[in-house]
Amino acid sequence: MEETTCNFPGYEDFHYELGTLFSTYPPPFIYVRDPETSRTTSIVIDSILRNLSGASSVPTTTKIHYARVDCVSSFTARLIYESIINTLVGWEPTWQDGCGNWSSPQDIRWNDSLDSFIHGLRAAHAHLSQQKASTSTDKTNDGKVRFVIVVERAERLSDSLPELLVPFTRLAELARLDLSVVFLSQVEWEDIKPPLGASPDPYYMDIQSLSKEDIVRNLISNFPALSKISRSNSILQNIYHPSLKSLYAHFITILCDVCYPFTHNLQELQYIAAARWPGFRKPLLDEYKEQQRQMAADVEAARMRLNRLFNSTITTALDALLPRLTNAADWARDNEPPEGVFSLPRGQWQPQQQQQGLTVQQQDENMTNLPRISKFILIASFIASTNPPKSDLRMFGRGVDERKRKRRATKAAGKSKSGGPPKVAQRLVGPTPFVLDRMIAILGALLEDNDVESRLADRQLTIPGEHTDMEIARVGIFSSVMEQTSMRLLHRTTHADRLDGPPMFKCAISYDAATVLAKELKITLNDLLWDPIA
Amino acid sequence: MKFDASTNLSGPLPDYLLPCFNAYKHEILKTLHSPSVASSQTESPSINDIAAKQLTDLVDGTVLRAEGNSCLLLGPRGSGKSQMIDACIEKVAFKRPIVLRLSGWVQTTDRHALREIAFQLLQQTGTALLPDTEMHAEAEIDEENPFLEVADHLSGESNLTLPPSHLHALIPILLTLSRPVIVVLDAFDLFALHPRQSLLYCLLDTVQNCRASSENRGIAVVGITSRVDSVQLLEKRVKSRFSGRTIRTAPPGSLQESLAMAKIIMQPSGVCEGDTHKEEWKQWWNEGVQKFLEDNEVATILNETFGLSRDFKIMIRMLTRCVTQLTPNQPNLSLKAVIASAEIQRSRPRRKHLDNLPYPALCLLIASAHADTGGHKSFTFEMLYETYKDQVRALVSAPVQFNGGSIGMMRCPREVLISTFEDLVAVKIFTCTMASPSIIAKQFIKYRCAVDRHDIKGIVEKAGSTNLKKWLNKSQ
Repeated sequence: MEETTCNFPGYEDFHYELGTLFSTYPPPFIYVRDPETSRTTSIVIDSILRNLSGASSVPTTTKIHYARVDCVSSFTARLIYESIINTLVGWEPTWQDGCGNWSSPQDIRWNDSLDSFIHGLRAAHAHLSQQKASTSTDKTNDGKVRFVIVVERAERLSDSLPELLVPFTRLAELARLDLSVVFLSQVEWEDIKPPLGASPDPYYMDIQSLSKEDIVRNLISNFPALSKISRSNSILQNIYHPSLKSLYAHFITILCDVCYPFTHNLQELQYIAAARWPGFRKPLLDEYKEQQRQMAADVEAARMRLNRLFNSTITTALDALLPRLTNAADWARDNEPPEGVFSLPRGQWQPQQQQQGLTVQQQDENMTNLPRISKFILIASFIASTNPPKSDLRMFGRGVDERKRKRRATKAAGKSKSGGPPKVAQRLVGPTPFVLDRMIAILGALLEDNDVESRLADRQLTIPGEHTDMEIARVGIFSSVMEQTSMRLLHRTTHADRLDGPPMFKCAISYDAATVLAKELKITLNDLLWDPIA
Repeated sequence: MKFDASTNLSGPLPDYLLPCFNAYKHEILKTLHSPSVASSQTESPSINDIAAKQLTDLVDGTVLRAEGNSCLLLGPRGSGKSQMIDACIEKVAFKRPIVLRLSGWVQTTDRHALREIAFQLLQQTGTALLPDTEMHAEAEIDEENPFLEVADHLSGESNLTLPPSHLHALIPILLTLSRPVIVVLDAFDLFALHPRQSLLYCLLDTVQNCRASSENRGIAVVGITSRVDSVQLLEKRVKSRFSGRTIRTAPPGSLQESLAMAKIIMQPSGVCEGDTHKEEWKQWWNEGVQKFLEDNEVATILNETFGLSRDFKIMIRMLTRCVTQLTPNQPNLSLKAVIASAEIQRSRPRRKHLDNLPYPALCLLIASAHADTGGHKSFTFEMLYETYKDQVRALVSAPVQFNGGSIGMMRCPREVLISTFEDLVAVKIFTCTMASPSIIAKQFIKYRCAVDRHDIKGIVEKAGSTNLKKWLNKSQ
């Protein structure tokens, strides 16, 4: 029984259970489910297997060889076969000999189908058993070899290579070897299980989500590894200088206090920590540089001041880095505290908030450069995508008497007349496709209302609305629509080569973007929407 | 010092018993890894004993008396079918029969199966019997020529395009071999789904021909399946060549039987011979197992397990987990372990793994519950975000103060919610309800929540935030 220490707080039970199984008699098919921290889990599994396969002190007579295969990078059957068998036998394809795969003593081709893959597995097993028997001096060693195949992101397997799912779950009985297949996945086995009971039920293992204390301990335990990366001994050069360890522990604690409610993912937290840490230590180092003395004078007070200064910036970091609106390096550079931040009066240094809503902002920047008519087209198509077609006459219709537009009475959302559920506002459900002619009609109405004053008077076009009619019949409108389609501000929902029927489009800008545009054009967008925002 | 079982049941193990403990654990896990299904000790022979005898007779007939036999081994999953045929083949191993193993899961077409038969024959007899293996060798000679590489890659496939006449050529060869042949067809029902069932036809036809001639060595075709109507799947011409013999296997039929099996597994014999403390340990362990199995609540759980499914493998998995959890500090089987094992290995409640969701995920779940109450089974991200925004706004504008702080909810930016939403989609808590969401912006793709309202309530209760609880209760 293997008694290695587990370096991952929170994983002790899992480590013990899986280690025990691998070193004794692993079930042929194990399913590890981890919804939140699957990367860490795969590292843990790897460390278990590395210990077991590398250690010669293991009192078992069985030598473990293992292979990890990620279903994202191995997206075809052949890639999976090759990466499994090459890893199992420890073969690395090299450029010099043409990146050939491992070739078995019998020289069989083992990567073209599942049959041959199984033959390849057997050949690899025989090869390794022989190798073991010949290298071991101990006669009691009977050359047993055990394979462990870890399939990461197994849910991808059921999407991309469903025909491999059943054979992989039955690999041990198909290959008739001492073999264990471990699936590691974020989803339940129930969700990807092949129908008709084709696969045997796995031995289930679940990863409980880590507690806050475990996460803190995990992150702190990374510090020695981080400080080894830089070889410099100077505290000014090495960001993770060993003497900063206790400060780092303190930093991680307050970081987790802020971030733990939002994410439990170790990698994400580590990423945020990496972005904030250089700034966090900077005020202290500045002081150190100035005074050239140890900072131990008033540790508690310094920590309190750091807490006060940086607590809000950690939230900013979380908001920007968790959705990856920017990267850690850029964020750290932008949010570096100024020199002598300790001496600034309270509240003087505020972290910048400019990262907020970056995507919306980028889209807006794209659109501010558009020609004026294109902006009108975008607004018109947003309206056409949001309002029901039947409402157009009431919203934009102009009778002879120019009577006031009737808008739907905004009443509280209740049950609809037919007894069904109340309708959800179209802007929440998503844009609907519209016919090009309808959009152009709406565009006409918009131009007539908002654009007439800005035009130069034309003596030939005297009838009211005649000028607008001319404007919307220009070829430029159509080319502008096509241009915006290519910019993905509009989506064409019908095929480009379809001849019958009018072309249909869909608006692809968000409500926020449409509001910005409307404000620029001085259109009151809310009045033109069938169900306006209260 | 004597290690007293009755008083010291919960304490850590003394050092001198550690080798015994490890040896027992090892042995039990070994038995659990490949449990013997036929080892019941009841007076009347069980179904599996009868089946094993029938199958042995049949295989013996082929191997020793050169008969042509075919049969179907039928039984539910985990009832010991494959184990039984392996045992039978093992018994006649001295005659060195050629064993061809095919599986319906891997050999999905008759041509694949044919190629596999050819390969296995080549391995076991050492001679190529089919022209296609020679073609294969030829293709590899040309490897120096880089321009032929494409053809070379396809050579595996080109084998599959052999004319079907080869099928008829290969199977009768089986009769001319100098050793008896046993063909084991796993997932027999899938072979019956192949077009025209030509492989089955050829095999069973060969079996029939075997009877007529006297100089052959015998062939047996054993189909293994769990599908009850497999024989009905066969076409008439195939069925008439099939002997119709069906041998049934069954899992333990009564609770007592399965408990007895569990007890046999858990009390191994003949382990750690030569250890001076062996007797002491054995007595202690066996008493512990006895006590464990007789415990009322453990018995209830095992009874429930047996009532839910006759599949003995569930019991095996539960016991495996209990045994792997044993440590020298806690060397005895406990009720707690078996409850946890039952939950993980048997019932797997979905909620269990969602207990510790982060705050944005909880918000989205509650919002989806609101959408559900509103009559919208499927929802877009925008709908959830709107619900969330309304709730935040309502609480922020409320002029109520509690303990000096406002009662507002934690603010969570839209981008963070989007990334959390994507996480929930990745773990399939939210499942997509649309066919091909290719040109729809991702915030408008419709999803359905896979967690039901009752579970959401439990999760939110567990998270313990008053605001969230109140918000969820508003939806009722």
